[in-house]
Amino acid sequence: MHIMEGFLPSPWWQAWFAVSIPVIMYGIYKMNRLVKEKREILPLLAVAGAFIFVLSSLKLPSVTGSCSHPTGTGVAAIIFGPAISAVLGIIVLLYQALFLAHGGLTTLGANVFSMGIVGPVVAYLVYKAGMKANINFYAVVFLATAFGDWATYVTTSVELALAYPAGGVLTFAGFMSSFGKFAVVFAVTQVPLAIMEGAVSALLFKYVVNVKSDILIEMKVIEASIVKKLRGISA
Amino acid sequence: MTNILDDYALMSPLRHRNNWLKLVIVLFGLLVGVSSTSPITPLFIALCMSFTTVAFGRAPLKLYLKLLLAPVGFALTGVVIIAFFSGSGQALLSFNLAGYPFSVRVDGLELALLVLSRSLSGMCCLYFLSLTTPMIELFAVFKATGLPESLIELSMLIYRYIFVFLDMALSIKYAQTVRLGYSNFRRSLSSIGMLGSTLFIRSWEQGDKLFLAMNSRCYDGKMTLFEVHRPVRAIELLLTSVYFLSALALFYFTKNISIL
Repeated sequence: MHIMEGFLPSPWWQAWFAVSIPVIMYGIYKMNRLVKEKREILPLLAVAGAFIFVLSSLKLPSVTGSCSHPTGTGVAAIIFGPAISAVLGIIVLLYQALFLAHGGLTTLGANVFSMGIVGPVVAYLVYKAGMKANINFYAVVFLATAFGDWATYVTTSVELALAYPAGGVLTFAGFMSSFGKFAVVFAVTQVPLAIMEGAVSALLFKYVVNVKSDILIEMKVIEASIVKKLRGISA
Repeated sequence: MTNILDDYALMSPLRHRNNWLKLVIVLFGLLVGVSSTSPITPLFIALCMSFTTVAFGRAPLKLYLKLLLAPVGFALTGVVIIAFFSGSGQALLSFNLAGYPFSVRVDGLELALLVLSRSLSGMCCLYFLSLTTPMIELFAVFKATGLPESLIELSMLIYRYIFVFLDMALSIKYAQTVRLGYSNFRRSLSSIGMLGSTLFIRSWEQGDKLFLAMNSRCYDGKMTLFEVHRPVRAIELLLTSVYFLSALALFYFTKNISIL
């Protein structure tokens, strides 16, 4: 859910930058430490970023007929964790703004906050909780991606409602009423889209587990014992 | 998906102009557009930027119009919501739909028009940048601004690999399509999952190879860039300042004008 260039008025776009930048700085700090420790990680991060970009420019088969793209951040959060996903997120969003005209430069802060920070954090938390509760890995991936997408879309609605509250002046009632409107209108496309992306991500991980599970074990996404069990079921 | 705006930027004659000047023009347009309080200034900016992109930057007019239509979906949804719900003044139009009263109010409509014009001017500025300045030129500018080294490094590598993977994704998609992989909903779901996973695995292998290749060429975390020195010409400076001054004057004089 990209917010368009120029859509957020003056105090709000700066505010979202102010919120996002410290998180991005923290992500860069974490990334630098990781790169120092394991130098081979930088090229891997680079291809992961390109992968997210390409994934997000693919059209998903859609039920409602509207143009729908996966965000791809759920997959990144599961593999790399939320801090690094935020750094990859800001680069990918910048490229999307410049190459595909999705989103914009002044709204970059708001978009990074919803898609690069909130979405991955929620996806990561759901994923961790699900793995601890010992639910099937694919089901967990499905849930994590879907909830990550929903969190993104709710955040976008909050951002828009804060900037354009009902009645013109920012009051709690005005905010809630406007938030409800944005959320309902976007729900038409976003709710099925998140389910679709969850399904696609689960399928993606299924093929990766079957073909090249050592990548996932190496990145500590899942443990070897779980892979064995999963392969036993699907083989 | 097949045509990325960067391709047109590489062919644009404005590519060979000073990058800083272009960046300043774009930032100026974005900031003035987003902080203006009447729809007239953003429309003026949109017009100027479109003219520059098409006439001086030689962007194909047809493509440009198509690009402007692309984000209209999001804009219209948002603008309609604002028009209907954010006003509090006198009602222009009201009706009942399924028992709920809907009404467009004067100040709501005005805000909606303002937001629409701001978005339009922002999009035009953005298109000016992406249709006349290839990413490679911007990297040198980024380096000079003192952004974190690793962030720039990462974005350069990502930029390179976007094109590799886009090609790969396209050819996989063609192959799947001719084998009826997208003939119905269930199949397209599993096809796109397969496409994603293949892309993931291949990109991972590519990453390993990249590390080997760069390491054997003494990569130490820094790629040096060559920035071509391009002086700003007097005529460019003149045109830019005329544009800046007229936009600012318009901004000042239309501050309190409402069009309804």
